[in-house]
Amino acid sequence: MSASDADILDNRLLGTGAERLALLGKHAEALMAGYVRDEVPLENLSTTALNRLLSARILWRPDEQAGVKLSPKVRELIAEMLADETRRHVNADVAETLELMRGLVQSYREARDGAEYWRQEQQLLHLRQAVDDLDGRFADAIDSLWRRLNSDFGFVSRLADKIRENDRAQKQIVRLLDGLALIDFDELIDLVGADGALRKLLVSQLQHRLSQHYTSLREVQRRLIELMARFRQQQSRSRLVAGMAAFLREHPGFVPGNYARRSEVPALVNRAAPLTAAGAVALDHAPDARVVTELLHDLPRPTAAPEPVVAAVAVERQEDSMVTARQQALREDVERFYLSVVEGDGASQSALEYLEAGELEWGEEIWLFQVLAEFQGLPRREQAAFRLRQHESRAAAFNDVRLIHDVSLQLAPARQGSA
Amino acid sequence: MSEDMMSGYSIAERPMVELGPLLERLLAGDFICAVSDDTAFRRLQDEATRERLDAYLRPLNRRLASNEEGSVYFLAWRHLDEGARDQLSRQLAETVGSLLPMLEWLQLVQEALGRDGPVSPGGVLKPADFSSRCEDNQGLRERLERLATDPFFGSQSEQLDAQIKQVFKRLRERGYLSQPHADRQYFVATAKIDYLIELVRFIRDEEQLPVDDQAPEAQERLL
Repeated sequence: MSASDADILDNRLLGTGAERLALLGKHAEALMAGYVRDEVPLENLSTTALNRLLSARILWRPDEQAGVKLSPKVRELIAEMLADETRRHVNADVAETLELMRGLVQSYREARDGAEYWRQEQQLLHLRQAVDDLDGRFADAIDSLWRRLNSDFGFVSRLADKIRENDRAQKQIVRLLDGLALIDFDELIDLVGADGALRKLLVSQLQHRLSQHYTSLREVQRRLIELMARFRQQQSRSRLVAGMAAFLREHPGFVPGNYARRSEVPALVNRAAPLTAAGAVALDHAPDARVVTELLHDLPRPTAAPEPVVAAVAVERQEDSMVTARQQALREDVERFYLSVVEGDGASQSALEYLEAGELEWGEEIWLFQVLAEFQGLPRREQAAFRLRQHESRAAAFNDVRLIHDVSLQLAPARQGSA
Repeated sequence: MSEDMMSGYSIAERPMVELGPLLERLLAGDFICAVSDDTAFRRLQDEATRERLDAYLRPLNRRLASNEEGSVYFLAWRHLDEGARDQLSRQLAETVGSLLPMLEWLQLVQEALGRDGPVSPGGVLKPADFSSRCEDNQGLRERLERLATDPFFGSQSEQLDAQIKQVFKRLRERGYLSQPHADRQYFVATAKIDYLIELVRFIRDEEQLPVDDQAPEAQERLL
């Protein structure tokens, strides 16, 4: 091939290439519709336009019956341009490129040895493009990985999908790292020999770029693994919380073992009781006296506003006669209970037993309340004549409210002439 | 701490004096994590500091403890006598009693805010977000109502906003949430949530409850 032939070839390439690239712009909307959907809509495409797109391999038709689809490379191009992480493709095939580079180096050397300078230039250009391709492929892949990582895989919504996407990204990294491992710089050094241009391109430049990629890949891998651990933790927590809540709802009476009584108390359960570090004013330290005095002076004065006496009005209570009558009846019954104790043989008598024995209609609580109220209503001298005992217990193990179950009353035997 | 206050202490005492406020919080039963008190938490990550604190706590029959993840510190009994065991039993019963409302709250937050998992330490929660989500969704509204009136949260109100306020207040009191600014209605989850989750997992394992926290293997294999 002579230089002029090659020029003609180049010109034809340029012309056709530009023409076909223009097709992308011209039919951008139809193509994007094909990217978003399964097939390219044909309504707005003329037969000529469709044929051109097909021959430019922008579109393809899997078979005669099927619709027209975007070719994989165009799909990739669009995904790349949009940084569409759901469809971006990571190409980790290094072996093929290495094979290509080896061939180009051979061809370059042959051209050099044959003093075909133009062909030598051409091969060097192709070689440079191959190196740029390889470099760009790693750069793109790393960019795509970072984007996915930084968005927490936001392009998928469910956690399980995120975990799968993360897993896929990690596998891509492994493939990329495997690809990097295929590049053997000792081999490349042998291959380029003493040629300065090749050495610069294939050894120093490539090595520099690839070591950067290697570092980036390791970093993104580390972060992906961290993120994966977080995803897994979230997933496991979410399942644990939901599962345990469901279990507790189904088993309302569930009580776990008392871990505090074990010989080895589990670390999680061992939480010491709170202590408050209290302090009080002390005057045994002379230098503090000044501070204490100041504090005293700073105390807010009690604001005792005079009570407006005029505002006070006697409370009028209009009691329902029914209620009054019931209260009166209750009081009388309780008085009878007291009398029965007085008349009894000095033995202690349970208020509830009296209530039951007398077949009285009062509620137990009301009855006990009135028995206590009656006792408290007695003059102190008369109170001393009785011994009142409350049978009580704590409301619950952790609740110090006392519940009174019964009251027993007895005449106090020791005091004379007090009743 | 000012020079003036420090002047009363010997050189040897000073490091301990600096830890005074932290000690006081620990003794009061607080859980210290990176959210509840970042400075204190970073101090506690230093082993020498922990040893000093432990030495101080020894006569009080207490020692510094942390959860498995090391994300939160609290005080544990050093020796378990009968009194300590009684207290622990009561405390455990109380915690177990609060388990269901806490778990339901975690679930509610996750669903209301459309999150991937239960809120984790450092996660920001705003009562306002909650009320807007619950206003739009009758199901969430009812669940929140049931939760807020649970004795653990103890809301007496029928108003949504008051119920949410009460729930957040309780959680702050219990140390599960921290409120960085008293006058601003936003809360940050503390690592005490980690502690709670660990306790739940512990109970599940100890009692061999049929509660699974791993994704089903079969489903993974299909992919």
